[in-house]
Amino acid sequence: MSQDTTNASNNLGWDPIDPHGINPHDEAHKGHFVADWKMQISILVILLVFTVLTVGFYNLEQWAETAFEITLPKWINIAGAMSIATVKAILVAAFFMQLKYDKVLNTFVMLFCLFCVALFLGFTMIDLGSRHLVDPERAPPIVAGGTGVGLNAAPVDKKFSLILSPKVNTGGSNIVYYARLHGNEEKPGLLYYREKGDEASFWKKFYGAHASGRDELDERNFYEQLGFTTGTSISDSNASHPRYGLTPGLFSDVDPKTAESQDDGH
Amino acid sequence: MTMIDTDTSGVPARILKSPMHWRNAKHQSHWRSGDEEFDAAKFGMWLFLSTEVLLFAGIFCGYAVFRMLYPEAWANGSHSLDWRMGAANTAILLFSSWTAANAVRLCQLDKQFWFKINILITILCAIAFVAIKFTFEYGIKLPEGKAPGTFFSYPYATDPHEPLWWSLYYIGTGIHAFHVIIGAFLFAFVLWRAHRYQAYGPTQYTLVENSALYWHIVDLIWIFLFPLLYLIH
Repeated sequence: MSQDTTNASNNLGWDPIDPHGINPHDEAHKGHFVADWKMQISILVILLVFTVLTVGFYNLEQWAETAFEITLPKWINIAGAMSIATVKAILVAAFFMQLKYDKVLNTFVMLFCLFCVALFLGFTMIDLGSRHLVDPERAPPIVAGGTGVGLNAAPVDKKFSLILSPKVNTGGSNIVYYARLHGNEEKPGLLYYREKGDEASFWKKFYGAHASGRDELDERNFYEQLGFTTGTSISDSNASHPRYGLTPGLFSDVDPKTAESQDDGH
Repeated sequence: MTMIDTDTSGVPARILKSPMHWRNAKHQSHWRSGDEEFDAAKFGMWLFLSTEVLLFAGIFCGYAVFRMLYPEAWANGSHSLDWRMGAANTAILLFSSWTAANAVRLCQLDKQFWFKINILITILCAIAFVAIKFTFEYGIKLPEGKAPGTFFSYPYATDPHEPLWWSLYYIGTGIHAFHVIIGAFLFAFVLWRAHRYQAYGPTQYTLVENSALYWHIVDLIWIFLFPLLYLIH
């Protein structure tokens, strides 16, 4: 009754007699879709048939593998199972969740969510699948049948060789610092230059070409312990001292000038 | 449905007079109509369901990444799952999804008895799902040492990354089973209110609809988890 009044008397979109429409016997939900039971049960049957299909496909593949030693490529297994799953998911969303008969907004929410998922998965896969282009040693592992990736790739860099390095006793220190001191077959370490007395090469090796070459050895004033001091002296107005690499103390808390003047005081 | 059945014979007066009964229930006064309230609640449910999908997307992404990195571990892990249990649980969830959709339809038609029966079947399916998962899957795998992460102690593992597979398996199926349990409690609440007050009917079925939507998304996620974990090797 109130519905008729609304339609007849105004275009407000609400009923002046019952402005909040709280009359419970209003014809609420009158336009809502009521599913057909035949449709629902046929969807259930289709879903169960698809489940049998995907399981059957899996078992057929297993049987072919054991009985005839036929190994299908992996992508057939994945594509078969996932496409059936997608069809099932669409059926559930469209008919059981009634997206097909519902407001488009709800479908839009879910599609936008799936778009975000696709971005998430897609960019992760692009990242993971293209790492070997930057670092060849990160190529995917060898699988039966092959992936076809890296067939014509350059040989793996020697430094990434799978032959394990001989075990060394670093005396408890970091292996990186140990290597910097002792060197390896290709590159001599700091100790080599000290023994040789090649100070220029020592400092070049020590500081490297960049500030990132500095490390905790420097903070411990390790170079002085190794017997070199000239590299640390600072030029002033009276004398100019050649030095290599970065200014000592540039990144440390101790001001080198103060430290030097204290030394002079002794 | 244009007319609401006014025949209330056979319903006790105690229930009919209850303010919880669907004929007496009013929508909140800040909504213009019950329809708007229903649509907003449903839209909110869909927003929540999209966050659920995003939650599981993280697990699916982890699955894909580790599968690409450690295919041998993933193949071994997949082979040590029993596809029959997964298939049984799939059938159970699909069937319960159907009964949940049925419950919504019967509620819209005010067929209270069959509505409650369908809700009850859905709850029983949830219990069966969790029971199968715990007794025939977790209960067998865990004593063998096929446990997640650092708890992994299976002595015949051939790939060093197999603990990672089991971590992902238990996290994925565990969070899913947790959702199944939540869904069962939702339906239990619906069933209790339907039984006690006849709280749901043609003009008042928001919670039934939203619980069913939740149940369907749980089913939907299992539809993807099942082939990923059990069938792809």
